[in-house]
Amino acid sequence: MPSTLPFRLVTPTQIVFDGDAELVIAVTTEGEEGILPRHAPFLAALKPGVLRGNVLADGAATRLELATSDGFMQALPDGVTVLVDEAVRFEEIDVAEVREELQAATERQKAAQDDRELYAREQTAIEFANAKLRLTGHR
Amino acid sequence: MPSVRDLRDRIRSLKNTQQITKAMKQVAAAKIRRAEAAQKRARPYADALAQMLHDLIGAVSSVDHPFMQPGKSGAPAGIVLVSADKGLAGAFNSNVIHAAEALARRQGGARYYTIGLKARNAVRRMGMPDHATWALGSGEKIDTARAAARRASDDFRHGEISEIVLVSQQLITMMSQRPQTRKLIPILASDFESARDGEAGGRPRGAIEFAPSPEFVLSRLLPKYLEFTIYSAMLETDAAFFAAQLVAMTNATDNASKLIDELTIAMNNARQAAITKELLEIVAGAEALGVE
Repeated sequence: MPSTLPFRLVTPTQIVFDGDAELVIAVTTEGEEGILPRHAPFLAALKPGVLRGNVLADGAATRLELATSDGFMQALPDGVTVLVDEAVRFEEIDVAEVREELQAATERQKAAQDDRELYAREQTAIEFANAKLRLTGHR
Repeated sequence: MPSVRDLRDRIRSLKNTQQITKAMKQVAAAKIRRAEAAQKRARPYADALAQMLHDLIGAVSSVDHPFMQPGKSGAPAGIVLVSADKGLAGAFNSNVIHAAEALARRQGGARYYTIGLKARNAVRRMGMPDHATWALGSGEKIDTARAAARRASDDFRHGEISEIVLVSQQLITMMSQRPQTRKLIPILASDFESARDGEAGGRPRGAIEFAPSPEFVLSRLLPKYLEFTIYSAMLETDAAFFAAQLVAMTNATDNASKLIDELTIAMNNARQAAITKELLEIVAGAEALGVE
């Protein structure tokens, strides 16, 4: 029985990770979902959150932690694919900038109370900002 | 008949022009490679998205999403028109703009969302100075695509447009580009059925578990699909533009060479004629004076 599975994390502009993982945990709209090798075929919508994985980099097990925006996760017999708009590492996060984003999105959301679609869009932005803060330990 | 000096000036100016077109040709060749690399980076996302869509289509029965309802009848069509920011690429921009205009005529009116300065200027000249517009080359392309997709889909949800159609240049080969018109929204159940029938011989993938439900995941996926389709059209426009520019600049350089050759011959003829004329004058003058 294989102890790892191929794991790919892609955004529209880049391949963030492409390799093998022992475990991938992402936040779906239904809560956290962990994928181990030989998971049943599975397709879920993801909320913005912190994605964690035990991955193999150059043969050594490492921990991968990223703040991801909304997207999708698909587990198939040939591996797991995560598709998100954005994925950022700890070192790429500027806390002051994220706080500003959060503030701006909160205000835009207040102004969009009566448009369900717009409200949900800003909610996503808020949750992504919060995920970035959580990853840097500021929340 | 133009004088030797006139011809020499023209040749000099042509040589300058030729140097510029040659430089632009080389720049375009380098930029094609970069544009193609960007397209390549987007490929894994495109593949994964298509795969998910395919799995979802097989699983859903009906979806209550605005993108899957017919648009408001009587409203104008929404045309997302993608062009380049710059010219000097033959008929590249005007072809795609003409395709959009033809579509608007067939639909009896349209609201434009333009990406690219050439499309912006053309639509402004059509008498729509304040339509929604973005530049192709400034800022992150994915952000521009998202903004355009949101603007168009908001208008669609509010019944201001009846459908969203994407008009952009398609890169067929390095030598040829063709405007392409794709209807993106609404996606009707019948489109799904034909896609499903087309997949009759496809591999059965077994039961897939959806969280929370295929309908929910699909309704999340559709807006991303719209954004990404516009994004990849922008990337393709970039690559196709530089390919068109490469061809246009190659032709311009060749034409300049041909013209320089012709003018050089004309100049040599003119110079020779002048020398002959002068000689004849001297000889005639000498004869008249009776010099031995």
